[in-house]
Amino acid sequence: MGKGPSASAARPERIVIVGLGNPLLRDDGVGLRAAGLLAERLAGAPVDVLQASWGGMRFIDLLAGYDRAIVLDAIEWRRGPIGTVYRLTADQAIPTVRAMSYHDLSLGSALALGRALDIPLPAETVFFAIEAKDTRTFGETLSPAVEAALPEVVRRVEAQLMQWNVRWGEPCTKPALHST
Amino acid sequence: MKTISIDPITRLEGHGKIDIFLTDEGDVAETYLQIPELRGFEKFCEGRPVEELPRIMTRICGVCPEAHHMASAKACDAVYHVEPPPAAKKLRELLYSAFFAGDHATHFYALGGPDFVVGPTAPAAERNILGVIAKVGLEAGKRVIQHRAGAQEVVKILGGKAVHPVTSVPGGVTKGLTEAERQRIETLAREFIEFGEFTLGVFDKIVLGNKAYVDLILGDVYTHKVYSMGTVDAHGKVNFYDGLIRVVDPTGKELVTFPASAYLDNLAEHVKPWSYLKYPYLKKVGWKGFVDGPESGVYQATPLSRLNAADGMATPKAQAAYERMYQTLGGKPVHAVLATHWARVIELLYAAERTLELATDPEITSTDIRTVPTATPSEGVGCVEAPRGTLYHHYATDEKGIVRKVNLIVGTTNNHAAISMSIRGAARKLIHKGVEATDGVLNMIEMAFRAYDPCFGCATHSLPGQMPLEVRIHDAAGEVVRVLRRG
Repeated sequence: MGKGPSASAARPERIVIVGLGNPLLRDDGVGLRAAGLLAERLAGAPVDVLQASWGGMRFIDLLAGYDRAIVLDAIEWRRGPIGTVYRLTADQAIPTVRAMSYHDLSLGSALALGRALDIPLPAETVFFAIEAKDTRTFGETLSPAVEAALPEVVRRVEAQLMQWNVRWGEPCTKPALHST
Repeated sequence: MKTISIDPITRLEGHGKIDIFLTDEGDVAETYLQIPELRGFEKFCEGRPVEELPRIMTRICGVCPEAHHMASAKACDAVYHVEPPPAAKKLRELLYSAFFAGDHATHFYALGGPDFVVGPTAPAAERNILGVIAKVGLEAGKRVIQHRAGAQEVVKILGGKAVHPVTSVPGGVTKGLTEAERQRIETLAREFIEFGEFTLGVFDKIVLGNKAYVDLILGDVYTHKVYSMGTVDAHGKVNFYDGLIRVVDPTGKELVTFPASAYLDNLAEHVKPWSYLKYPYLKKVGWKGFVDGPESGVYQATPLSRLNAADGMATPKAQAAYERMYQTLGGKPVHAVLATHWARVIELLYAAERTLELATDPEITSTDIRTVPTATPSEGVGCVEAPRGTLYHHYATDEKGIVRKVNLIVGTTNNHAAISMSIRGAARKLIHKGVEATDGVLNMIEMAFRAYDPCFGCATHSLPGQMPLEVRIHDAAGEVVRVLRRG
């Protein structure tokens, strides 16, 4: 925390992309994979790309100081075929303000908590959630339909960045991935 | 037969489902806890060099990677028949103590606390950490966030990486402590202690100061007289990182004390056809079903059971709090499941004091932090107290150290039988003919579950952030006559 200067300062917007997941539980790792791809493609862009295994209260640490955030994660929602990419907003994650995990806070609750404590958090958080097939078997590969969704995730994240007026040039060779 | 189903996670991530079956009369016939199973872990580990497991194990669960790292490191020591130098053990325990201080705080303020601080029958929308802050004050919220950040900083300094430590190798650790780092940890440790005392004060004022809550804690809805398990040091005091595993009977008398390597002689697992869950029980006593009493091998491995099994706490402030708890609750052992929250806060204070003790240990900056293994690797067991219970890692390798077999008993697993009993006990007491299964009643059933701080998933982050609670009531013909939803 504490990396966020006051919002009134004239400065470029700070944007973060956070890929979430467990790299050992097959499709659960899709958010991490997508973040890895984006880190390479966006190497020259004024955005930070992070990978994290866990949200909960840690979301506050991960997102503090940024103006906008994109979160990538697997989902087992069954509102579309495997590999469907859903765009969700923070509002959709907030309603319960209750742990989705029995151990920690939901993302919405974490954001609400951070705001209550005057921690500078993104004004806008967009989630891209990828419908997963198997998040219960140990393995390091994605299901084919989930793997096939990666280009769409990348495309939609980049479109979102364009919409936020982020511009970037050719990717340079050095990836700017920060693993947390 | 009517069915009430508490399904907090409809198709979302690796969490459980509680089914409550009613009789025609509207009383509770039986309850079932069901948890989706993670598959293929053993196969995933087989064929890998065993020294990779302390790093891989941190990835099997997002909630307590540090606990898996430590149990795995100790199992690797055992596989390689190597004893880490004293400073290496202290460095591991220092990391682990800071992790514990942070983890227990998360549970108390985010999960356990709301039931008490806001109230068990308060509307679900207020029964959360924001509700806690509304009651305790914004300053408290800031302290919680700061405390957690401090705990993570210590893990990062010592572990080489926040959240997923990589420092441990067979025979010790790869990262020592500089004097500057030590000083930083010492400063943080003093803050942890202040925070632990502050939290105990919150518990005192809000929970113990309210007679209705004390009655709820001590009431028979949430009481099971089962065996208690916990790790004790050479003086019989609670220790999270190392020691012997002691089990005491429901009257507090020692049943057995054993080293981790003897876990299979002392524990067996009961299997039920309707659940993936295994139900460990004490071999010496035997499986008699989901019942309490000295004849039943059901045990608990929780903060409360650790305090019950030990002779006391190894640090002064935690010891004073320990004595006060047993005085207040009518002596040792305590079987009130909700007192687990109190025990957790006492452990938080102990973890904080232990962090300071180790951070000021003259040996902690020693550079003698690894014994290089020379013996041929074979088989070994490593064990620590995870926040949610005793954690066993058991590995067997070939002579080159390639993994052949892996067996784990994780913290929550120890408590499966006791958790099932708590849910059933609460349901039977609270749901009767003519009593409406309101949100408040359902929460009081979930409270039984939450006291154990159970952790079932390896992925605690799926979207969206809802925890729908669905209650379906079926009539005798199986028709759904009523649906209650929360979330």
